Amino acid sequence: MAAPTTSTPAPERRRRSPSGKVSFLASQRGRDLTLIWLFLLPSLAIFALYRIIPMAWNVVLSFQFWSPYKPAEFAGLYHYEEMLFYDDAFWQILWNTILFMISAPVGIALALGVALLVNTQIRGRNVYRTIVFMSYPVMTVAVGIIWQWLYNEKVGLINFLLISAGIIDRGIPFLQNFDFALPAVIIASIWQVIGFYMIILLTGLQSIPPNLYEAAAIDGASPAQSFRRITLPLLRPSIFLCFVVGIINSFTAFDLIFVMTGGGPGHATDLLITYIYSTAFTLSKFDYAAAMTVANFLLFVLLAFIANRLAGGEAGAVRREA
Amino acid sequence: MTRTRHWPIHLALGLVSAIMLLPFYWVLKTSLTGENIFVYPPALLPTDPHPFFYVDVWYAIPFFRYLVNSVVVSALVVVANVFLNAMAGYALTRDFPGKAATIMLFLSCMMIPFQVTIIPAYLITAQMGLLNSYFGMALPLMSTIVCIFIFKASFEAIPKSLIEAARIDGVPDWMIVFRIVMPLTKPAIATNVILAFIWSWNSFLWPLVIVRDVEMQTLPLGLSRFLSVVEDTTGALYAFCVMVLVPGLVIFLLAQKEFITGLTSGATKG
Repeated sequence: MAAPTTSTPAPERRRRSPSGKVSFLASQRGRDLTLIWLFLLPSLAIFALYRIIPMAWNVVLSFQFWSPYKPAEFAGLYHYEEMLFYDDAFWQILWNTILFMISAPVGIALALGVALLVNTQIRGRNVYRTIVFMSYPVMTVAVGIIWQWLYNEKVGLINFLLISAGIIDRGIPFLQNFDFALPAVIIASIWQVIGFYMIILLTGLQSIPPNLYEAAAIDGASPAQSFRRITLPLLRPSIFLCFVVGIINSFTAFDLIFVMTGGGPGHATDLLITYIYSTAFTLSKFDYAAAMTVANFLLFVLLAFIANRLAGGEAGAVRREA
Repeated sequence: MTRTRHWPIHLALGLVSAIMLLPFYWVLKTSLTGENIFVYPPALLPTDPHPFFYVDVWYAIPFFRYLVNSVVVSALVVVANVFLNAMAGYALTRDFPGKAATIMLFLSCMMIPFQVTIIPAYLITAQMGLLNSYFGMALPLMSTIVCIFIFKASFEAIPKSLIEAARIDGVPDWMIVFRIVMPLTKPAIATNVILAFIWSWNSFLWPLVIVRDVEMQTLPLGLSRFLSVVEDTTGALYAFCVMVLVPGLVIFLLAQKEFITGLTSGATKG
């Protein structure tokens, strides 16, 4: 009905400023840019508020004397000195954390075995994949409760099986024992995360072109040789990724440890993250906890860097692709 | 040739599956045992299965209250994630000054585990007066970098001509995103919904830090609190465990494909 020539709204909406130029907000480009930044703003605000500012604040706090009811005072390296020279627990807990991180390859090796098996053309492979992966997305707090029950000294399944097999005579209180508590927690943690390793490795395996194996077979390579010469080198980025997941797992294991042992006995199962939590939120030593957080983050970055170098540096390229 | 050699693989995978399933079975069995869970030797099958402990949970703890809190926080997180990540993902498909820097910023934020930020994050949240609140629990989880990039990738797969055509017709940009682009990226939305749900549903450390009020506790907090009160003396603890596990497991099994796609695309693409 309306004449098409008069119904184009765009030119009418453009208001010209006195100088004759189109003002920024009224121009098409200006509106585009405004919209782009408006769209980015909420996400950027959340990451600023919960990643960037806290990271910087942690560093500042670690050089201060500060508690919720006292004004901040410059402390220099006081907290770092306390951490490195006067806090015996810190070294034990640092060692626990490193042990926890470097136990990741055990889980990754197991996961690689499972990934190779479910990557074959057998019937029901999807069911196996689901079963192995199923422990990953469940609530870690519940996983902790299940495992502390499995480890129970008197009626726990693990002690029952060990006794039935004649390996031990009487139940071991795994989680109350200084020698067994940390390995026990690590096993529970590997049980939960192994499915995720498997999925990462499976994705890596499936991206290897099958003609490489065919060519190797024609050249007379044994399966072991093609595994060592083709599979492992091409899986390097995936293995590196698993290792980073394993390192990050030493942070997410907070839930597991909080429920299973609370860091005990003594500090036998305390990781830096659980120690940081109790130092900050039960002892209210926020400043000291901030210094340990900085140490924990540096350890994480260092190990991720080493893993990247071991992976031949290619993994960094994969990550940057996005 | 390979046909005949399948059984060792089945045997090995059967063994692995048994190890992976046994803990689930054991907690289910314990929760159905009836009165005494401390009988030795432990029965491998529940003798005389009984829902006694489930009834006990219902009366011993405010299960419904925890459930409502968990559902509210998860709903906030899921809805916010879909909208905020889609918006940010769409913005990143456009050209603008500072784009490379923004992407770098997102990628470096990914390298900061949330756990190492809890102390200042707690202080900031306290400053904003959000302790003990649903919004405070949800806020840090409301946008996820992995999902922003998943949205970005799926927006880039949409033909440019479609968006151009809409723009020529005078459709405003915000409407292009919500009415034209988003309906075409249902897989990305599904992935985002399931990831955000599982992460917020399982989230423990953050609510533990900012929630003091029992009335505001979510399921994982309730579970851990119940453990600290009763220790492991009652089967009700394990019944509670099962009640918490089932919703998460069911949703995971229904949306397994989306969940795994989301995790692996985040894992391989940064």
